Amino acid sequence: MFRIDRRYFHDFDWGLLLLLFVISGMALMNLYSASYPPSPYGIPPYLKQCYLFLMGGMGILFILCFDYTELHFWNYPFYIFIILLLAFVLVAGNSAGGAQRWINLGLFKLQPSELAKLMLVVTLASYYSRKDEDEGYGLREMVTPVLLTGLPFILILKQPDLGTALMLGIIFVSMTIFAKVRWQTYAVGIGLGGAAGVFAWFNLLRPYQKRRIETLLDPGKDPMGQGYQILQSKIAVGSGGVGGKGYLEGTQGHLHFLPERHTDFAFSVWGEEWGFSGSLFFLIAYFSLLIWGLYAAMTARDRFGVFLAFGVVMLIFWQAVINLLMILGFLPVVGIPLPLVSYGGSSLLTTLLALGILMNVRMRRFQTGQNLNMEKVKLK
Amino acid sequence: MKWSGYNNLEELGESDDESLDSLKRRIILAALVVLVFVALIFSRLWFLQIYKGDEYRARADNNRVRVSEIAAPRGNILDRKEREMVTNRPSFNVVLVREDSNDVDTLIKELAQALSLDISDMWDKLREAEGKPRHLPIRLVEDVDWATLAYVENHNHNFPGIRIEATPARVYHYDNVAAHAIGYLGEISKKELAARNSAVYSGGDLIGKMGLERLHEKDLRGEKGSNSSEVNARGFEQQLLKNIAPLPGNDIQLTLDAILQQVAEELMGAGDKAGAVVAMEVKTGRMLVLASNPVLPLNQFVGGISHKNWNALLENSKHPLINKVVQAMYPPGSTYKMMTAMAGLATGVITPETVFYCPGHYYFGNRRYHCWKRGGHGAVNLKRAISESCDVYFYQVGLRSGVDNLAKMANKFGLGVKSGIDIEHEKGGLTPTKAWKLKRHNQKWQEGETLSVAIGQGFNLVTPLQICLMTATIANGGTQYKPQIIEKITDPDGHVISQFEPIITSQLGGEKVFLKQIRDGMKEVVQGKRGTARKVRIKGMTIAGKTGTAQVVRLKQYKHLKEEDIPYKYRDHAWFTCYAPADDPEIAVTVLVEHGLHGGSSAGPVARAIMAEYFAERLALAAEEEKKTKE
Repeated sequence: MFRIDRRYFHDFDWGLLLLLFVISGMALMNLYSASYPPSPYGIPPYLKQCYLFLMGGMGILFILCFDYTELHFWNYPFYIFIILLLAFVLVAGNSAGGAQRWINLGLFKLQPSELAKLMLVVTLASYYSRKDEDEGYGLREMVTPVLLTGLPFILILKQPDLGTALMLGIIFVSMTIFAKVRWQTYAVGIGLGGAAGVFAWFNLLRPYQKRRIETLLDPGKDPMGQGYQILQSKIAVGSGGVGGKGYLEGTQGHLHFLPERHTDFAFSVWGEEWGFSGSLFFLIAYFSLLIWGLYAAMTARDRFGVFLAFGVVMLIFWQAVINLLMILGFLPVVGIPLPLVSYGGSSLLTTLLALGILMNVRMRRFQTGQNLNMEKVKLK
Repeated sequence: MKWSGYNNLEELGESDDESLDSLKRRIILAALVVLVFVALIFSRLWFLQIYKGDEYRARADNNRVRVSEIAAPRGNILDRKEREMVTNRPSFNVVLVREDSNDVDTLIKELAQALSLDISDMWDKLREAEGKPRHLPIRLVEDVDWATLAYVENHNHNFPGIRIEATPARVYHYDNVAAHAIGYLGEISKKELAARNSAVYSGGDLIGKMGLERLHEKDLRGEKGSNSSEVNARGFEQQLLKNIAPLPGNDIQLTLDAILQQVAEELMGAGDKAGAVVAMEVKTGRMLVLASNPVLPLNQFVGGISHKNWNALLENSKHPLINKVVQAMYPPGSTYKMMTAMAGLATGVITPETVFYCPGHYYFGNRRYHCWKRGGHGAVNLKRAISESCDVYFYQVGLRSGVDNLAKMANKFGLGVKSGIDIEHEKGGLTPTKAWKLKRHNQKWQEGETLSVAIGQGFNLVTPLQICLMTATIANGGTQYKPQIIEKITDPDGHVISQFEPIITSQLGGEKVFLKQIRDGMKEVVQGKRGTARKVRIKGMTIAGKTGTAQVVRLKQYKHLKEEDIPYKYRDHAWFTCYAPADDPEIAVTVLVEHGLHGGSSAGPVARAIMAEYFAERLALAAEEEKKTKE
């Protein structure tokens, strides 16, 4: 099973790793500032995040040891495990702010909904790579992926965690469109989605969730609540100007005007302290990683690899876009972190594991799937 | 392991190449989507950080920097002997910082209950402050006593958002002495705030509302200091960024004498009299006393006067809010006779030796004009006419001089003219002329009216200050000095900014030679055997003066009544004006007692007391020497 070959060192995408290091370095630096001055109690967030980076790094190494095609199989136990965890947090999870999301693991609180995002990427990649339809998928073929997505979606919505649930939906939609569906499917999908949205607004959304959306439409309506957070974030980023206020010199963050400054609003701190130039540098690095991921999808050796790499990029991309648009005042406060940058163990581990899969796809780009599969099949 | 979905490996291989290529083409589209969002995010960053960067930077500073003002101690007010009349003391206010309180309504209710205060006053203050930044303290109760202060300080955990703020407040060392001249402070009104430099004044500031406090606001107010501190989102101060100490205001030394002023006000107050007392140096124009009774209760204004107290002042029938020294006008009564005499002498219609016979009345036209002495004075010359205030004598002098000459002479002595004293709302008075009547009433002057004017009744109106100025001009030989109340203004470092200089407004011409006759008459008023103000005499000093009675109404129904039975508001006003020493005059004193009936008995003693106090040392010395020579 272990196929550690010297060729893998050669084929390994060191550039991708370097980019990850650069981004992670900036993220940790920013986290230090975002939680500055360090609290005298417990392990400071940046240090915890360091440990988690190391853990995630080991996770990447572990993933690299296997051919990604193994996931066709491991996908099933993984899926069932995550569903069980999601069910478990609903029954016995730690609650905070009226939502049950966590399982306390000591060093960090495991948020199964984060892992569920990666699980969905792998599951859908596996399904779509095996189901190839030239004409695009019809409604019949869509039943299985909709059910596979729907089950964790509903469990997460129950917590309630609207942001993550929506992320699952977005991942599903991106990967499905990427896999190509018939136009009838689009029509039905849009119709059903719209109906579900209207239904959800009147029956499922909790008042605070509705308020978030209303606040986005009219930020002046609620200046001390949701609007306040967005406003303070805009002030933080905007006051950074061209060159920023300097590392550890941000006033919006350090004087607590900025809410959630080391989690969801971590990039506001960066924007305030490093200004437009620093933000540009950071985002170019960040989006280069994603474009690089798409390139990895281009060069993947088989459909599964393409779908995996694409799914991983979409997973990170949509979270980043939603988080950044929220920070910059274009979206409501939905509680989506900026992958790699926001403090949070589950999100970081999930992202690193996802990148591990991406590296795996990239590293094993030259072995033809047929050969490998045939070998394996032949072995049987 | 069997992979579901693959029927056989060949099929997998074939379809793979083709569908893989179409998949990879779609990746390019995905990359485009990514780039579109990247462009959106970059342009938004540009908009926030560069296009609106300065605006957001200002807002961030606004968030974190809190500037709190430190009130400057106002300048002190001293009397002519450098006695402190008005200084400052720390005053403690109960203030609310709305930002620190999560339930203002309950807080106010509990506070009002705990301190047993009027809750509606606090609501009013809160309502006024609506729309101001929430971190700015709102003064709920000003200048609280020690018990309240201690209670709030000890129970501050019960009242989140309630704080004690110390600001300078006025202390009046002589209570209400010279209240009208000094004036009072009050919280700046919205109108005043709009009219003034916002860099200097802000809401809640105290500003002079009346008197010197208002007129010399610029000198007295000083410059505010400020504390700029960095605060966090919860409003807690993190560090002091900048501290600018306040600059105290300039001190003003008055020409007024606190003790003389006190004597005047106390004597007036003792009889519950309404009226005015004015005293001045006749050779400089320095004002020594400017008293108006009833006095203003200055201490009620510290920390804001209550509605109840303010209404009581407004409704008081003796009008304490009016500074009767310059803002009230009365007929001058017999004090005007000096002007009639001067006009007669100057126009040559009489000489000091001219004698008129007074049978107690005078017929003019078909009317009988009475002398105040029904029995008549007999044959009177100028000196007797002044000392005994013979009306019949002055009827004839007035008639012969003509009303326009009377007015002309009166104006030369400052009657009917604004003096320009440093007090607001000064009234000019009225010296009637023929032209004036034609213009004002569109009527021809009746010669009979000249008779009234000649004895200071009729249309004549003067302020007590004008009578004092007239007296001073008579006393000093014909020089009009501008009345001034400021000796000097000194900045906090002790540099003198302005110093008193006598200002001559006018001087009499050749007619001043007649002043001696007038002065002789006035001396006789006090020192003579039959003078009308013999009660004013002080041992060891000669005083010259003149009594006066200003008719309020001429009602038949009261004629038969004894003076004491006439209702207060219909009684005559009493004047007494004088100067001393008679031979080398130094000060002039004028007293007006509203509805005081007789100058000699009600106004005279007040003037006497002031002179006695002013010359106390010299009189004591003289008395001692006299004692020695006797021994």
